Amino acid sequence: MALLELQNVNTYYGAIHALKGIDLAVNKGEIVTLIGSNGAGKSTTLKTVSGLLSPKEGQVTFDGQRIDGTPAYKITEMGIAHVPEGRKIFPRLTVLENLEMGAFTISDPAVRQRNLERVYTLFPRLQERVHQKGGTLSGGEQQMLAIGRALMMSPKLLMLDEPSMGLAPLLVEQIFAIIRQLNEDGVTILLVEQNALMALEVAHRGYVIQTGTIALHDSAAALRENKSVREAYLGEL
Amino acid sequence: MSGIKNWLAGTLQDPRRAPIFAGALVALTSLFQVLAPFNSLAFLLVIVSMLVVGKAATSKWVKLGLAVLVTLVVIPVAGRQNGALTYLCVQMFINIALALGLNLVVGFAGLLDLGYIAFFAGGAYVYSMFGSRQALEFMPESLQHLFPLGGWWFWAAIPIAIFVAAFLGLTLGLPVLRLRGDYLAIVTLGFGEIIAVLAKNLDHPINLTNGAGGIVGITPPSLFGYKLDTTLSFYFIGIVLAILTALAMYRLERSRTGRAWAAMREDEVAARAMGINLTKYKLMAFMAGAAFAGAMGMLFAVKQNFVSPDSFSFLESIGILAMVILGGLGSLEGAVVGAVAVTVLKLLILKDLADFLSMTVKLPPAFNIPQYQPLIFGLILIVMMIYRQQGLLPGRRPTEDIAQLETRTPKKNTTGKSVGA
Amino acid sequence: MSESLQILPQVLIDGLVVGALYAVVALGYTMVYGVLEFINFAHSEIFMFGAFIGAEVFLLFKPMTGVPHFVPLIIGLILSMVMAGALGWTVERIAYRPLRGAPRLVPLISAIGVSFFLQDIVRMVWTAIRGNWQLGTQDLYATGISFAGAQIQVRSVMIMGIAIVLMLSLSIFVNRSRTGKAMRAVAQDRATAALMGIDVNRIISITFLLGGALGGAAGALYTMQYTVVNPYIGFVMGIKAFTAAVFGGIGNITGAAVGGLCLGLFEALGSAYLGPLTGGVLIGSEYKDIIAFSLLILVLIFKPSGLLGETVGEKV
Repeated sequence: MALLELQNVNTYYGAIHALKGIDLAVNKGEIVTLIGSNGAGKSTTLKTVSGLLSPKEGQVTFDGQRIDGTPAYKITEMGIAHVPEGRKIFPRLTVLENLEMGAFTISDPAVRQRNLERVYTLFPRLQERVHQKGGTLSGGEQQMLAIGRALMMSPKLLMLDEPSMGLAPLLVEQIFAIIRQLNEDGVTILLVEQNALMALEVAHRGYVIQTGTIALHDSAAALRENKSVREAYLGEL
Repeated sequence: MSGIKNWLAGTLQDPRRAPIFAGALVALTSLFQVLAPFNSLAFLLVIVSMLVVGKAATSKWVKLGLAVLVTLVVIPVAGRQNGALTYLCVQMFINIALALGLNLVVGFAGLLDLGYIAFFAGGAYVYSMFGSRQALEFMPESLQHLFPLGGWWFWAAIPIAIFVAAFLGLTLGLPVLRLRGDYLAIVTLGFGEIIAVLAKNLDHPINLTNGAGGIVGITPPSLFGYKLDTTLSFYFIGIVLAILTALAMYRLERSRTGRAWAAMREDEVAARAMGINLTKYKLMAFMAGAAFAGAMGMLFAVKQNFVSPDSFSFLESIGILAMVILGGLGSLEGAVVGAVAVTVLKLLILKDLADFLSMTVKLPPAFNIPQYQPLIFGLILIVMMIYRQQGLLPGRRPTEDIAQLETRTPKKNTTGKSVGA
Repeated sequence: MSESLQILPQVLIDGLVVGALYAVVALGYTMVYGVLEFINFAHSEIFMFGAFIGAEVFLLFKPMTGVPHFVPLIIGLILSMVMAGALGWTVERIAYRPLRGAPRLVPLISAIGVSFFLQDIVRMVWTAIRGNWQLGTQDLYATGISFAGAQIQVRSVMIMGIAIVLMLSLSIFVNRSRTGKAMRAVAQDRATAALMGIDVNRIISITFLLGGALGGAAGALYTMQYTVVNPYIGFVMGIKAFTAAVFGGIGNITGAAVGGLCLGLFEALGSAYLGPLTGGVLIGSEYKDIIAFSLLILVLIFKPSGLLGETVGEKV
């Protein structure tokens, strides 16, 4: 059974019908990517899952439970970590305080400590800057902090929104390597990317979203070979 | 109940039945008012009938005719016996103009002004200081024979009061230009309080305002040698000033300036990007709003024959804000209806209710109803914000279709220069 | 001049006591502004309500001459904090929460409404139960001690002490506790805070509860200092405390404390020396309120971020 399942999800921004019946599933242990152009509804899909938006129609199931309409903080407690677009770290909290905020739902100090060590192993840079204010970090460090902060809550599902945005190519490589490693450690990942090439390389399966509907879904390998995907998203003519 | 409602709505929309119905209604309520000048219910019915006329599907000439009949015949006739009625109406006209003026600042331009009464105070004090024996306190002896000013100066003082109030608007506007909405509100509040403190304390070293005691004996206006010192004459001056204010507002809303204000209100950043000079238009809003208040302040001073700092408290500013919010921010009809409703509530309904209660159930003095204006204004603001932010009569933003705009291509500014930069 | 200098210690002490009150009230404004970017206009009336509760408790103990003064003081302080905190919480639930996400001026107008409403309700209730809306209460710790040529009342020292304890506790709470940290997270980014598993509504409620409690405590201390309260004490105090918050840097807890103390000192110095400096033309105490208003306007124009605040520039 799928860990996360969206069935006929319809979400509105005021009068704007942003998601028009999205069906999507993420199985345990998978990396699934959601690709599409600007404004297609990628971030909206993630926000609908994490509870920042609630769908007007359709249902979202996580771990066998209906979660649509549940407030965001409760969904986080259930094990979904959402790394929002633009990283959204807390600029006036230190790196350590940012990471502590990630573990807000974890009451066991031993677990918190273990998660913190894991984050430091993954991102040694963060340990170096532990008392620095989040807002003073570079873009790449902020992305690491945002992912690290999400890992602090021991998520069953990690949702990443454009983790490569605005980063230098070398850093992008690094981030994707970490995504792969996290998955190997057993974290299920839903990845939203504009950089479709990279995303389809790490992912097992992919969905293509167009103006609020799923246009295509297939294995990542098949999507990489798909002619229309190549034309539209991989920059080939 | 719904049957009556449907019938009423149907009648008001039917162009043949509507004028007859409206005319009959006004005639009936007017008759009642004239026969029973002291009956508050009659006055309320007259006001309701005027509202119904406003909603009726009939030509504006019919509406105007009925309005003229009520304001120029019915009220003055009833007022001959019940002076309080005329007095109430003068205050109503003053409040209408004030609400329209504040609506310009808050509704059109989106600048929440919590010290609006300061401009009203400015106008009132300017005329009172020179139009009473107070002038003898501070004018040099060689000029003292000129004071207090004669009644015809009232007319000359109107532009002066407008100028002084607009200048006050400028002094308030200049420093607060860069402030964001909520900070601006607090600063205007502070400004209002500063004016009140000045009015209270400028009785020394030179006695300009006579301090907390206030100024009495203000020369009433005169016209061609006739002294206009009756409530009825203030009533007519009030009508004229209120109508002039309303007309000016109507024109302003549809002007280039009005559109710039609207753009500024909706999104300052976008407005600036479109070349609207925010500084200029914010200052204009403050100054224009202040100017109307200044003129009405003069009428208030002569009507009361007395000014003191107590008449210009923060509560008064909030009272005007409540009128504008009740009617609907940005709506001219709303401001008028809000002003009428609050004035009637304040000066008529609360008093009558208090009288009624004191006769029926012996209420302890703690529950002196007319004193509960703050409570009522407060409730109006809260309830309107939670349940009906657009007010009772939401503004119909003047809409213009593209075709209309194209026929009116601006003659100036075709070079693409920014508006008034 | 020597005469003027002789009163200086007294002036400074008076300024610091009033400044401590401004600071504690300012904390309520600054906390709510930090979390919601909203001026809680009704905070001044919550302070006033706290002052009435404090006055009632002190009065209750007036006939009991044997009871040491710290008993009414502590009970009055705690009760006014609890009641005012509850009032702050309630006001947010009823008058502000439904307006979350509306244009900025909408909740502000609602808050102004709440302010007038509360002012009049208090007047009504106390006129009904006491027959008069002005309430005099018992003097607590009114004995004086001489220090450096100044007459210091014991209560002044206690007011400053309690104010410092309150400010330190709040600072520790916000910086150390889990809820305090969540509060800071909500202040910086509400949506992301929710993604961390923080119940944002609960945190906002707690902010109003704490802000109200501090307002209530300041009210009880005000009663202790002035011994007479009326429904209109909130308005001027509100403007002053807001000025203090803005002056120190709104959203900043240390800023509120510094701003409050500075404003208190400015006012005390102004009242004492404006007259002599202008040769008696302007009487300082009459223009005391103008000092605060002018300071507010000047700070907002020249340094809207305040002494210790971060820039509050509009996000584009």
